[in-house]
Amino acid sequence: MMKRKLLVMLILMVFAATGCSADNAPVETVDEQIELTLSWWGNDARHEYTLEAVKQFEKLYPNIDVKCSYTEWSGYQTRSDVLMRSDTEADVMLINYAWIEKYSSDGSGYYDLYKVADSIGLENFDEYELSFGVKNEKLNAIPIAMNTQSFYVNKTIYDSYGLSVPKTWDDMFEAAKVMNGEVYPIAMTAKSAFFYVVAYAEQESGKRFMEQDSTVNFSVDDFRTMIDFYCRLINEKVMPQVEYFDRKEIGEGKYAGCLAWLSDGSAYFNKAIENGYEYVVADYPTMNGVSSGTGWYAKPATMYAVSKNTVHPQQAAMLLDFLLNSDEMAELQATEKGIPLSTAAREYLSETGKLEGMQYKAFEKMQENGELAVLSPYFENDDMIDEFRSCCNAVLFDKETAESQAQYLYDLYTKK
Amino acid sequence: MLDRMSGNIGNFVKNRNKRRMSSLKLAMTLGYTVVMVAVIIIISTLVFNKTDDILKTKVSNMNAALNVQMKLNMDSYLERLEATGTLVFAEEEVYSYSATDDTADSYEAINTEDNISDELYSLCIMENFVDFCIVYSNNHTVGKISNGTNELFGSRIYEDFSAMINRDRTNDGWSAGYNDNFKRIYYVKRINDNAVLVTSFYTSELENVFKHPGGIEDITVRLTDKDNNVIYSSIDEEIGSRLENDIAERIDGQISSTIIDNDYLISVNSCGDDWKVICSAPTEIILKEKNDVQFYIVIIAIALSFVAFLTNILLSRRISEPVKDTVETLALKASMDLLTGLYNKKTYEDIVSETIANSSDGDRYCMLILDLDNFKGINDNLGHAVGDKVLAEVGNILRKQYRSGAYIGRVGGDEFSVMLEIPKKLSDTSEFVKTKCAKLCDAFRNNYADSEKKYKVSVSIGAASFPSDAQSFQTLYANADKALYVSKNSGKDTFSIYSESVTGDE
Repeated sequence: MMKRKLLVMLILMVFAATGCSADNAPVETVDEQIELTLSWWGNDARHEYTLEAVKQFEKLYPNIDVKCSYTEWSGYQTRSDVLMRSDTEADVMLINYAWIEKYSSDGSGYYDLYKVADSIGLENFDEYELSFGVKNEKLNAIPIAMNTQSFYVNKTIYDSYGLSVPKTWDDMFEAAKVMNGEVYPIAMTAKSAFFYVVAYAEQESGKRFMEQDSTVNFSVDDFRTMIDFYCRLINEKVMPQVEYFDRKEIGEGKYAGCLAWLSDGSAYFNKAIENGYEYVVADYPTMNGVSSGTGWYAKPATMYAVSKNTVHPQQAAMLLDFLLNSDEMAELQATEKGIPLSTAAREYLSETGKLEGMQYKAFEKMQENGELAVLSPYFENDDMIDEFRSCCNAVLFDKETAESQAQYLYDLYTKK
Repeated sequence: MLDRMSGNIGNFVKNRNKRRMSSLKLAMTLGYTVVMVAVIIIISTLVFNKTDDILKTKVSNMNAALNVQMKLNMDSYLERLEATGTLVFAEEEVYSYSATDDTADSYEAINTEDNISDELYSLCIMENFVDFCIVYSNNHTVGKISNGTNELFGSRIYEDFSAMINRDRTNDGWSAGYNDNFKRIYYVKRINDNAVLVTSFYTSELENVFKHPGGIEDITVRLTDKDNNVIYSSIDEEIGSRLENDIAERIDGQISSTIIDNDYLISVNSCGDDWKVICSAPTEIILKEKNDVQFYIVIIAIALSFVAFLTNILLSRRISEPVKDTVETLALKASMDLLTGLYNKKTYEDIVSETIANSSDGDRYCMLILDLDNFKGINDNLGHAVGDKVLAEVGNILRKQYRSGAYIGRVGGDEFSVMLEIPKKLSDTSEFVKTKCAKLCDAFRNNYADSEKKYKVSVSIGAASFPSDAQSFQTLYANADKALYVSKNSGKDTFSIYSESVTGDE
């Protein structure tokens, strides 16, 4: 009997040693693989570092697979329109400040991030900063940094013409005369040009162009001022037509100044600085002794939002937190989108000596200018800005009169 | 030695049989175990080899299937992007416009280019294109063009993009690694004499194209151009470098194949413009799983050997125990004289020889040979039955005389021998021998074969000592026998001690 027991025990020992078992339970369990989508717009540098950040996030969370969708600004808004309308938008999205009003006027167009607050380091933002993303008591988006149009001056070129950094609008025209078409005193994209002429018209009229609720304060005459001013800038060679603005030429010293977003500082001017040009961030041009910030606006540079349709809100919040507050993303992004509002990201940049460069200079200038007016969410309407450009071109090429185009624009902007 | 000289005359035989049985059991156990282990090794080796073959075949097939899938993914991706680019031919204004006409109205040109730009943006809206633009022969561009591309090509933008067109049939071409920059992959298609469509995507987009299921992470997926430059690799650091020689040499000239040798498992398929999709892994890593399997086989084999060993011990015990008693009984019978209960001559000779052989310095023994006086007369007059009784009684007397410290054997018909150990403390060995002989003679002196006491059973004794008289059994026995002869010739019922002077001549 004992021997039989011994034999049974031995057999069991062999089975145990060889891992055999009567149980057919699975050998391995695998965590559920979750797919998130992330979309953003930007330039090459932003694409590259965001893709790298996504890789690092996926390493940190191997069960989350992030599918990326990205393009340049031009086209991103159209793509977003299509995706939002078709309920196929990304789980996590880089959005423009204006889109909160456009897609979520009652706060239900994006996921309420307060619901996943435990996964996002909201303590890194103060109430004022978060208020840009709050709609109807729902946190629709979180701003990354504050942005404003900044006036970058190639001091080397101005110096070479014996000119000091311009302070008034008249200085710009004087500079154009001295430069005599060899270089332009300033150059910019169509959107920046819109901000430029609005600032001029606001200073001249003393009126604000648009209120937060989209009410337009400008009259037909004020629109006429904008058109006339744009045409004068072109005709007197203060700046090239926006269609012919070429960023490559900044580095080659073809433009003595640029109006561009604070967040574009490095991307626009690093090449020129490498080529030996000295750049400064100047005060905005003024007239009649108004202060430098008059007629100029600030807004959240870009914001991250989560789709209201996401099926993985917790994981989307984790990704959003990584993009906003992690050391890894702060290291990769640095000041590319401006100076981060997240205290965690800003502290990291400060500790690692990365709070520097053109963006930081523009940030300091923005603070010097005091509290700039907050941009109306309706201000940056690409279609409207396109219309303004078309009207200006029609006048510029004598196809239409400034009066008719001003009336056209007024009707367009005030149409309910 | 004292144990072996014990009075229990069966002890030696039992001990000897026990030793023999133990040796036999050990030999059986070892032999069986060796056979079992050999069988297990042979089976394991066969399993090893079979596993090796199966694994290599399976992994090769899997790698080949993966490679084909990757190639199809790549072809499909490139075709999709080409198809998107081809859509520029849907709008005449887009494909027929030339920005190089200096005489054209600037206002019209701006509006036309706006329209073309809008069209291009709407075409590329859903793909992650980095560039999607038309480049004109005056280097003017319309549509989406990245700063990276602008900076990379500079003033050679039209010329160098035009040079990328290498397919005559479709007037287009793919290119990567322009100026050693592998971040983007370009597709260029001529749309009119003065313009080419340029589209591009980040090489990193191919991670989605070459994404493969888990479980085969060890396989490296690469896309190379016709010069073996690595356009994409699942190992980031390889992108932009030359394909390592070991792999390049193996796939040289191959369009679609799978190769496995001692160093590499490689599958290759060509796609697009002489590009190749290569899936490879070091054979060592592939066979790692086999080694894991082999490890478990070895563990199983060791466990089985252990079980075989234990089973063998159990079985041999179960078999040997019943046999042992029978064998011991038979062996005892074979070694004893059944009439007297003493050792037979052969056993006695073996024991004494072994005792002498194993003796150490200082050991001393004496051998007595006893011969019954007039035993023939007892047999002749009283019959063999009485003779046998007399012999049995002799055995009894001898056992009583030497309850311990002696070997006793019947070495002839009426001849007996006793081997005695001489105590070491005695200095006069001859006195000890004489005393023993005298006592033995006395023990037989009043013995009779019949009740009438007509036939006296006395003994004559010859004695010799070890090592003083002899150093081997044969010499000791012969010398004691010579002394016996002297006793017989001296009138019997007496004893003689061997000395050099005893010749024993008859």
